[in-house]
Amino acid sequence: MAAALPNISSDLVWEIVRNNNSYLHKTGAASNGGIQLSRDPLNLTNKNSRKYAGFVNDKAVGISAGEKGGVVVVSKKAAAVHQPAKSVATTTIGGGKSTRKTYKAIASQVAKSGYRADLREAAVERASAIRKSQLPVKADPEPKLRGKKALKAASAGES
Amino acid sequence: MVAAKKHVPIVKKHKTSFNRHQSDRFDRVGASWRKPKGIDGRVRRRFRGTIRMPKIGYGSNKKTRFLTPSGHKAFLVNNVKDLELLLMHNRTHAAEIASSVSSRKRIDIISRAKQIGVKVTNAKAKVTTEV
Repeated sequence: MAAALPNISSDLVWEIVRNNNSYLHKTGAASNGGIQLSRDPLNLTNKNSRKYAGFVNDKAVGISAGEKGGVVVVSKKAAAVHQPAKSVATTTIGGGKSTRKTYKAIASQVAKSGYRADLREAAVERASAIRKSQLPVKADPEPKLRGKKALKAASAGES
Repeated sequence: MVAAKKHVPIVKKHKTSFNRHQSDRFDRVGASWRKPKGIDGRVRRRFRGTIRMPKIGYGSNKKTRFLTPSGHKAFLVNNVKDLELLLMHNRTHAAEIASSVSSRKRIDIISRAKQIGVKVTNAKAKVTTEV
């Protein structure tokens, strides 16, 4: 076996970095109860937690928006965890594919193959949110005028 | 924009702010709360008709604490990158653009927020032009 046995467990890494890492975004406790989010590209929910922390776990999934629509699924190769440059496998699912097929593909990649079955739901949710964000934005409805402004507009329309 | 997750009704047990005793009578006594410590203090002894003192019982339900009337919690955002964090939390958190962000960058943040369905609490600030 070429790769040396890793001598640092992900549990140890997590205990060390859980309160301070470059991905972590803390907020003030006085404003909203102090939610802690993570910018980790391999984090599906952006929550700072052991389950979703992609940079800690040997196996992790990340989903981001593709450049030309669609989603990009990245997953970690458990064999190359200690070589960050080689450790990520990228799959692109184009925007032309129906959302249902997209979710199916993601679910089978994440869970069916026994990779990270616990992340299936989160992965599909994130893919769904991204696909939704790629839809054209509806324009705001024209605001209904009330009170004096409405009267003014009505009188202007008459004359 | 996505509506907030359902939550138990928000109850505010004391809606007015707790002002310091006699801050209404003297300019030199500020409004920020100080507990009366005097030996004869009527407020301290909780006499009838005196102002209420703050106490832990007035605290909000943990489930509705920090919630805005819309049911979101405010999340301070300085740029689009911060906003992306809320992609999966748009039903629990709303973005609040920091006061130091320019109107040009606010437009980027607001348009991106619309795409990912995040409510912006101060979307009209600095962006709206006077008619």
